[in-house]
Amino acid sequence: MKKLLLALLGVGAALTVALPGAFARTEATQAPDAVPGITKNSIVIGGTFPLSGIASLYAPIPRGMEAYFNYINARRDKKTGQRGIYGRKIVWKYYDDGYNPGQTVQLTNKLILEDKVFATVGALGTEPVLAVRPLHKQRKVPQVLVSTGASYWGLQYKQYPWTSGWQTDYIAEGRVYARWILQNAPTSKIGVFFQNDDYGKDYLRGLEQGLGSKRSLIVSKLSYELSDSSYASQLSRLRQSGADTLVLFTTPTPTARAIGTAKAVGWNPKQIVINSVSATDQVMAGAARAAGQAYVNGAVSTGYLKNNTNPKYRTDGAVKAYRRIMANYGPDGININNTFYYYGVAKAYDFVKLMYVAGRNPTRAKLMAATAKMNWVNPYALKGVRIKTSQTDRFPIDQGKVVRYNNGSWNEISALYKGR
Amino acid sequence: MNVVDRNLGRAIGPALFLAAAVLVILLPRFMGEFRLLQFTLVAIYVIALLGLNILTGYSGQISLGHGAFVGVGAYTAALLSLGRPGLEAFQLDPPSWIPLGDGMRPIFTIPIAALVTGLFGLLIGVPALRLGGISLALATLAIAVSFPIVMKRFAEVTGGGGGINLNLPETPFGWDISTRHWLFYEAWVTAGIVFLAAWLLTRGRIGRAWRAIRDGEVAAVSSGVNPALYKTFAFGVSAAFAGAAGALLAIETAYVNPDTFPVGISILLLASAVIGGLGSLAGAVFGALLYVFLPIYAQKPPIFSFEFADQAPGVVFGVFLIVIMLLLPGGVAHFFRALVVAARTGRFRRRSRTSELA
Repeated sequence: MKKLLLALLGVGAALTVALPGAFARTEATQAPDAVPGITKNSIVIGGTFPLSGIASLYAPIPRGMEAYFNYINARRDKKTGQRGIYGRKIVWKYYDDGYNPGQTVQLTNKLILEDKVFATVGALGTEPVLAVRPLHKQRKVPQVLVSTGASYWGLQYKQYPWTSGWQTDYIAEGRVYARWILQNAPTSKIGVFFQNDDYGKDYLRGLEQGLGSKRSLIVSKLSYELSDSSYASQLSRLRQSGADTLVLFTTPTPTARAIGTAKAVGWNPKQIVINSVSATDQVMAGAARAAGQAYVNGAVSTGYLKNNTNPKYRTDGAVKAYRRIMANYGPDGININNTFYYYGVAKAYDFVKLMYVAGRNPTRAKLMAATAKMNWVNPYALKGVRIKTSQTDRFPIDQGKVVRYNNGSWNEISALYKGR
Repeated sequence: MNVVDRNLGRAIGPALFLAAAVLVILLPRFMGEFRLLQFTLVAIYVIALLGLNILTGYSGQISLGHGAFVGVGAYTAALLSLGRPGLEAFQLDPPSWIPLGDGMRPIFTIPIAALVTGLFGLLIGVPALRLGGISLALATLAIAVSFPIVMKRFAEVTGGGGGINLNLPETPFGWDISTRHWLFYEAWVTAGIVFLAAWLLTRGRIGRAWRAIRDGEVAAVSSGVNPALYKTFAFGVSAAFAGAAGALLAIETAYVNPDTFPVGISILLLASAVIGGLGSLAGAVFGALLYVFLPIYAQKPPIFSFEFADQAPGVVFGVFLIVIMLLLPGGVAHFFRALVVAARTGRFRRRSRTSELA
């Protein structure tokens, strides 16, 4: 009892002495006019990505972006003769949040408060981005070109004016699959296997919207959690439902696993549909290893970027530039056929363009204003795709083509469509 | 050893606590905002680890489900602080039998979350009586694995995968301190209160009963200790502490979602508790420091090649765990205790079990 009293007394004394003095406001150390993250010769930007864990197949994205930024820092601009953007080198800081939104919050705070970034660029993951969207809004820090196709970014720009998206959104994409099925295989029995979060559900919503009155074509829809280690139960049930079309609204690693499992439970669907995020050569190669090349050939998806491994694009200027940039400015010993590096380069291209629109003396507000004034051609995207936004249209990329997989590449099998 | 030595010996514990308290109070003067954020998280995990320590370290019940308790506390705090009107903005409509008000100040959600989670812990504690050792570990692992799934299943209450954004934290009552400082002190004062509560529990009869049960249940029973009562109580207390930590976490990060509490959190918490030192309250502090700082600063260690750099934090954690288990079976805290004992008695004894001075 005496020990306790002594301890409490001591704490009380310490508190009364130290507390008043300890309540000090942190003082700003920067000049009042300075824009955080912008100096005469640098622009500091940051992002959070799943470099480890179940979503780590996305890890090449920030590295692709890094290679492109290195290239921009080294080359001289044709018009101004300066390196970087108007003479400012891009400093790119990215951290591993393991796809855990709790980690994303801590790391984003680190980027904003400690690294003092000008903006966060390309952060990956619907839920991680959602977790820090209010933080960006409160601190008025741009959260641009996020690496997720959730429709939130394009639809909720009024409530969250500091956040902007980039790629085609999942709902629009789901509608494209619906349209394609209705046109090409209207008697299909569809079995959907989707990730049990906003990513998977957005896609499913789009598919159901697109099918409209023919929604009953979906004979079964089953979900999985990212933490699940086996999908055998769901895929068996999908097979038993009589479905002949397997639609996969799954992230990369689960996609390869699901295809392998589908084969293993003895199912041979007539048609496999894979969402565009996972329709990369890496994933398909993994699926082919698990289920055999014949099983995965013929799978259908959509795309808005050139397929950098397709022989058709071997001599394409942009794909050749991509290979040069990765070879000269990317990390050593990597596989540049991995589409996620290409995705990173394509996105970095658009960020650099945005900074040019923001002008010689960029501010955070000017960068966000630029996201509503996008109007150019990205050479890494499919021919005909235009990166375009306006005050009322906040979907920079909303066009694409239906593509079919065969022996290592995706071939375009439709005309360019407009998703929104 | 004469009377003076003995009293000095007894004073070391409170003296250290005092020193730590003064340090915590003065910390904001010297640290930038982000570092303060990290130390706020340290406080939060101290609270969670104190709970885990009581359950696993003192009463000997292995739990791989502690993350789920933290998650329950976080969701409780989130739902309460938004209230029905706030949840409507997310198109959420929890069933009317759940007593949600109109939203309350976040600070009041902390004790309520602790209570709710504590009750949940008692509920878990009862069937846990029938299990022991590995079976209990597996059962608690099942809880941890199912937690995100259950949260997603009841999406009309929890917001499902999209989660719930709480209102961004702000200093209450118009006090003139920055929000960052307010969060820091809120977390550390709660940690201090929880620490004192844990200290009172573990130094008295309850703590002795726990340790007796841990060290030999049959012997404990024959000494007149009712294991069912104390083991269930341990689950309840442990869960209550985790619930308070979860509430603070929800307030601090202003976002809850099922994937913030995957099974990995439960495993990491247990590993941190073990490294910090089971059966020692100070061990929770070391464990929390490890839990918060290691993943960030292990991300780009120089000795790892490019290929494995991403997996570095996991590897480093694992190496730590193995090294501590081999060299310091009692964890980091026991190393310091051994130093203190050596200073007092002039002897250095290696302890291989948690000491009765705990």
